[in-house]
Amino acid sequence: MSELLAVEDLQKYFPVTRGLIFQKEVAQVKAVDGVNFTLEQGETLGVVGESGCGKSTMARCIARLLEPTGGKIIFEGRDITHLNRSDMRAVRRDMMMVFQDPYASLNARKRVGSIVGEPLEVHGIGSDQDRKRRVQELLEIVGLNPEHYNRFPHEFSGGQRQRIGIARALVINPKLVICDEPVSALDVSVQAQILNLLKDLQQDFDLTYIFIAHDLNVVRHVSDRVMVMYLGKPVETGSKEELYAAPKHPYSGALLSAVPIADPTVGRARRPVVLQGDVPSPLNPPAACTFHPRCPRFVDGKCNVDEPLLRPAPGSTDHEFACHFPLERWPLDEDEFRRAPSSESVATTAE
Amino acid sequence: MGLLEVNDLHTRFQTDDGIVKAVSGVSFSLEKGKTLGVVGESGSGKSVTFLTVMGLNDPRHTETTGSVVFDGSEILGLGTSQMRGIRGRRIGMIFQDPMTSLNPVKTIGWQLEEAVMLHNDVTRAEARRRSVDILKEVEIPRADTRVDDYPHQFSGGMRQRVMIAMALINNPEVLIADEPTTALDVTTQAQILRLMIKLQQEHEMAIIMITHDLGVVAELADDVLVMYGGRVVEKAEVHDLFAKPEMPYTWGLLGSLPRLNATAERLEQIPGQPPSLLRPPKGCAFNPRCPYVFDRCREELPDLRAGVVGEGHSFRCHLADEDRARIWDAKKAALDAAEGSAA
Amino acid sequence: MVYFLIRRFLWAIFLFFCATVITYIIFFVIPSDPASIACGTHCTPQQIVHIRHSLHLDLPIYQQYWLFMWNLVRHGSLGFSYVNGVSVRWIIGQDAPVTASLVFGGAVFWLAISIPIGIISALRPRSLMDRFGMIFVLIGISAPAVWIGLILAYIVGFKLGWTPIAGYCNLIPGSGTIGSCSGPAQWAYHLILPWLTFMFLFAALYVRLIRATVMETMSEDYVRTARAKGAPGSRVLMQHVLRNSMLPVVTILGMDIGLALGGAVFTETVFQLRGLGSELIQSANKDDLPVVVGVVVFACIAVIIFNFIVDVAYAWLDPRIRLE
Repeated sequence: MSELLAVEDLQKYFPVTRGLIFQKEVAQVKAVDGVNFTLEQGETLGVVGESGCGKSTMARCIARLLEPTGGKIIFEGRDITHLNRSDMRAVRRDMMMVFQDPYASLNARKRVGSIVGEPLEVHGIGSDQDRKRRVQELLEIVGLNPEHYNRFPHEFSGGQRQRIGIARALVINPKLVICDEPVSALDVSVQAQILNLLKDLQQDFDLTYIFIAHDLNVVRHVSDRVMVMYLGKPVETGSKEELYAAPKHPYSGALLSAVPIADPTVGRARRPVVLQGDVPSPLNPPAACTFHPRCPRFVDGKCNVDEPLLRPAPGSTDHEFACHFPLERWPLDEDEFRRAPSSESVATTAE
Repeated sequence: MGLLEVNDLHTRFQTDDGIVKAVSGVSFSLEKGKTLGVVGESGSGKSVTFLTVMGLNDPRHTETTGSVVFDGSEILGLGTSQMRGIRGRRIGMIFQDPMTSLNPVKTIGWQLEEAVMLHNDVTRAEARRRSVDILKEVEIPRADTRVDDYPHQFSGGMRQRVMIAMALINNPEVLIADEPTTALDVTTQAQILRLMIKLQQEHEMAIIMITHDLGVVAELADDVLVMYGGRVVEKAEVHDLFAKPEMPYTWGLLGSLPRLNATAERLEQIPGQPPSLLRPPKGCAFNPRCPYVFDRCREELPDLRAGVVGEGHSFRCHLADEDRARIWDAKKAALDAAEGSAA
Repeated sequence: MVYFLIRRFLWAIFLFFCATVITYIIFFVIPSDPASIACGTHCTPQQIVHIRHSLHLDLPIYQQYWLFMWNLVRHGSLGFSYVNGVSVRWIIGQDAPVTASLVFGGAVFWLAISIPIGIISALRPRSLMDRFGMIFVLIGISAPAVWIGLILAYIVGFKLGWTPIAGYCNLIPGSGTIGSCSGPAQWAYHLILPWLTFMFLFAALYVRLIRATVMETMSEDYVRTARAKGAPGSRVLMQHVLRNSMLPVVTILGMDIGLALGGAVFTETVFQLRGLGSELIQSANKDDLPVVVGVVVFACIAVIIFNFIVDVAYAWLDPRIRLE
């Protein structure tokens, strides 16, 4: 197992300008503000978070569809952060993206064969005949009829279009596939098909995934490791077993708690922790711990003064979280959730 | 006799490509103060059914038959002015996307006041007072100043609260919620669902919750309708539905859910996609995708019939009772094993 | 919002410079000799040189341009016609009311026709009314204004004798020297055919635009919400649909009026109205630079002012812009 991707302190700030004649930068939207992770070949990293957390922006930065403002992206041991276009071209053969909206991400005026074959064309791989054969091969692999090579996107359903998007991503044999909410726009019964397909393809072609979603159930199903993001920063990362069984950060706990459970007996027996307020604007993030205005465990004087840094959970190698008063165990009922541990236990967990 | 009784409702749309059979024989009963969950995917007819109940379809292209009895009187085919007396006053409706469901050039106060003054003979000042009150009830902070703000000045969750406020301001007996939380973040969804439960208790209101999310249904509903291809394919009390679902589509739905506490490597998937309502399949609408299909399914539409549990639980399937019981027991065992291995 | 408007204003000044500079440059690229035209046919070469000097035509372009700008800013003067020495400002002052009458009156007409037809077409798509409206649109867009003008002049003016076929009357009696008739009634009477001609194309375009925006607005979610609240159709239309669908119409209306004030050439020519359009053509044919530039300046200012009005109106109508 080798390390395929390493992201170090990735930042993406969008300037906000004002000015009469010459636009001056007056503020920044810190969409991504310090993301670190490594990804082994064959692994799936799930990235979960709500609107405004920066997960899509991060994905686009890694794929260099956006220019990072700071930090490093190291792909297969090579620093690709500021690579020029022609060098990046070669890298793009190994890094492809699958997008969320199966209706918008396919060019409605092009035929399916042409859409799926485009990456081959762009990189100048194979003759026309070779390309056609490869495209038909992919169509079959993703569960579509290769004879539909000449059809247009609107002749397919949402799930089928998403398969076309996946075929397009895989046609040049990439190593890394970044999936940005690939099943969010699909019906429930079709979601399962696509999730199964992605898992099968990962095994068959030794793919590495970054899987972005807001649905915690889905993320858990496909991922090996999970990263929870809030306002541009990761607040907790860990293996899926550890994170889902024992989340440490109150936001992770709230997210897990908020997911409705498809079992009326279990679901109604518990009292979920409901957060107050809305996600704040990344234009004006709160001081220190950005989660503090909504945190049920907020301790005045600490959480709004000292920014918590990512630190490892006791007894674990890769479970990290950024909180001064992490959750002691899981599940917690609502009262325990809202009660920040006393100073003695803070001292203990800090060790 | 329930508060809302719908019987054999059919809705057909005239389109350029032909007739779309959006709703084909839906019947259900809603009791006062209870919550009915309506589950389905695209093309199931779940939204159209309730747009028909509210009379919100375009009359020029729509053909509706059947019966909708609200509080003892027939409201289907009612004249527009009489229907308007019910809409927004005795039955309220909220929709999926709060971003686009509010008029962007009018303040929310104006829109709330409109809701009041359409149905009540009161002064503007009184309407405004009621607007501020209802905004406080849906937990919008600083309601007295925010009432003069425009929709774009609110976040998504706040806008949905405003929508709920607008639907509730005249104290309706029924609230129809069409996918109200689908466009919201999961933590915001939790807030909105909790708010809806609270309001239901305070107003003694019946709720119809239309959704594709079985989790939401499990948390909120008393009874559940599962819809597919324009029909009700299963109808049950919520605990019964999840404990012993009676037909393959419901099994497929439950089985294909990724769960927080299960470790199945592969999800059970339903092959194919939801049916076209332009040319629906002959016989049972689910037959092209059903793993247990046999000849009769392709010829004859199964009637909605009660199972072994009793009248409260009905479904559409030709499979014999013993076969269904056996299949479900096997699936349940597999699901339990998957969950057990995670513990 | 104040930032927004100030920025717009600064851009406007910049655009003004660009437009006038380009006009000057074009003029100097065209081979011509205004001096000899101004002088007339029986001129000696010395006279031509003399005239050229007095008209400053022997100076380099940028100096001529500078003189022009200086005159404009210092004295509010646009110079004098090469052809007859008349103050350009006076010429514009005579022609502008004619064009303005035509354009504003025409705008009233075209809105009065297009708004009802557009709305009814949108409410009843594919009905008889809608199809009639679309035929009207097709004719309006395809038929040249000249043709419409001549047909109307011939049938209504000449054959039927219902209206005059040419000429302009002043709105206010005694103002200006054009025309021997004056007064509001005569003014309108002479302008009926020109208005009908001028507005035809615009009415057609606006019917299409209004139909499209109203149909789009009708399918918006908030219209469905209004119905779900129990609002009657008429209220939904007036309060929810119209205001929102008029936003794009307001934008385009301002632009169209601004542009048209630069001269509705065809209509003015057919009905012999001495407006800015026909003035521009005649002056360009005679290489009369000051008048050409004068009309360009006026048109520029008109476009700028109207775009500004549109920006303000839009911000007033749409609170999302107002509160940014």
